Amino acid sequence: MNEFFQKDIISVRDLNKQKLEVIFEATNKIINMDPNKRREIARGKALGYLFYESSTRTRLSFEAAMALIGGTSLGISDVSSSSTQKGESLADTVKIMSIYSDVLVLRHSLDGSSRFAAEVSSKPVINGGSGTEEHPTQAIQDLFTIKKEKNKIDGLKIGIVGDLKYGRTVYSLLHALGNYDVEVHLISPQVLKIRPDSTYDIKKRLSFTESTSLEEYIDDLDVVYVTRIQKERFPDEEEYLKVKGSYVIGLDVIKKMKEDAIILHPLPRLDEISVEVDKTKQARYFKQAEYGKYTRAALLGLLLNENGF
Amino acid sequence: MQESELIVRRIKEGTVIDHVDGGKGLKVLDALGIDGKDGSLITIALNVPSGKYKKKDIIKVENRFLKDDDTNKLAVIAPSATVNIIKDYKLVEKRRVSLPNEIERIFRCSNPDCVTNSSEHIESVMDVIDKDGRVLRCRYCNRLLDVNQLKYR
Ligand SMILES: [Zn+2]
Repeated sequence: MNEFFQKDIISVRDLNKQKLEVIFEATNKIINMDPNKRREIARGKALGYLFYESSTRTRLSFEAAMALIGGTSLGISDVSSSSTQKGESLADTVKIMSIYSDVLVLRHSLDGSSRFAAEVSSKPVINGGSGTEEHPTQAIQDLFTIKKEKNKIDGLKIGIVGDLKYGRTVYSLLHALGNYDVEVHLISPQVLKIRPDSTYDIKKRLSFTESTSLEEYIDDLDVVYVTRIQKERFPDEEEYLKVKGSYVIGLDVIKKMKEDAIILHPLPRLDEISVEVDKTKQARYFKQAEYGKYTRAALLGLLLNENGF
Repeated sequence: MQESELIVRRIKEGTVIDHVDGGKGLKVLDALGIDGKDGSLITIALNVPSGKYKKKDIIKVENRFLKDDDTNKLAVIAPSATVNIIKDYKLVEKRRVSLPNEIERIFRCSNPDCVTNSSEHIESVMDVIDKDGRVLRCRYCNRLLDVNQLKYR
């Protein structure tokens, strides 16, 4: 029996290195599988999504993943049109959805909402991004991309750039990286530094530096993970305009990077990576999006099949 | 008999909470819901000299025996407190409070965006991740909680 069968995927904290490696192995299997055989993995199964916050990208990635392995998807992606608008509790909505589907994906703004949903659901629940800090499938996707594109994770120098305070992908990524022997450099404007109260556990497993200067580290990094810097996060526009430019990856920055370095981004991007960069060999963020489909398909396949696939 | 014990009257049946960290006595009363409304005798001594430089608070409550929830609250608020159970003027049991591995229900998570603070029917669960340092973490939102700022349900 595979250890993921009927299990919830709530937090990246629950995934140790061994579990991550099982998912990576299953992902490679999915990629190399005969498409007809692949479509048997979730045949007759339905994924139910409940997106209380809109995230077209994550939802589409799950839908594409489910389609890849022969399953279907149904759900709510616009809360204003759903019964929750009429005051239905999250618990009730989850219970109903777990009657209609075989696996649930929840996206919700409240911290801990996925753990709660898993408790009331009769089917496994995958956290599709909840609260401020949890987005486990994004972290799985990010790590798989690094492993695939760099052929390893251990020993790498990884820079994480941008909004580290509000980006939920960053916290999940750091927790996941804690399973590996990596050197992490956090690079962000002063006002968007990582929240110290959220790094209590991360610090025990991962050493990282914090800096406001991309320039300082760029020539030494193997992986540059870029996140969005949103104007709304700054106290005033002047402050935003002041720092914005220092974290934009353009061709000038590419020149300073190692030949074999890679650039990742959870997408959607705004202007933190110039479009000219897309054509460089360092740009791997679209590859990363593609791997997101395969890692999610692998995870769904493991959750739905007692003996794996 | 120690001087501190002479300050307050002996009780027949009930509980003496001793060695409450100086200044935490009123907070303990609040947490345990001891307000005297049931007519029982309550005596409180605040800032009783204890040892050379320290001060402690003492609470004596008649006809009240602490439940697990109460002891857990005490362990969080006043970790060095001792609980003495009195029956017929005699000390029948003396125990130190200690933090359990998890605390359910009694405290509110301090994260306003936590699902346990929403309108959903859900009780808080906090894991004690460091007993000596008194570090608690909400099992739902994973937030670390400052024990000095916890609010009761
Ligand atoms: Zn919480």
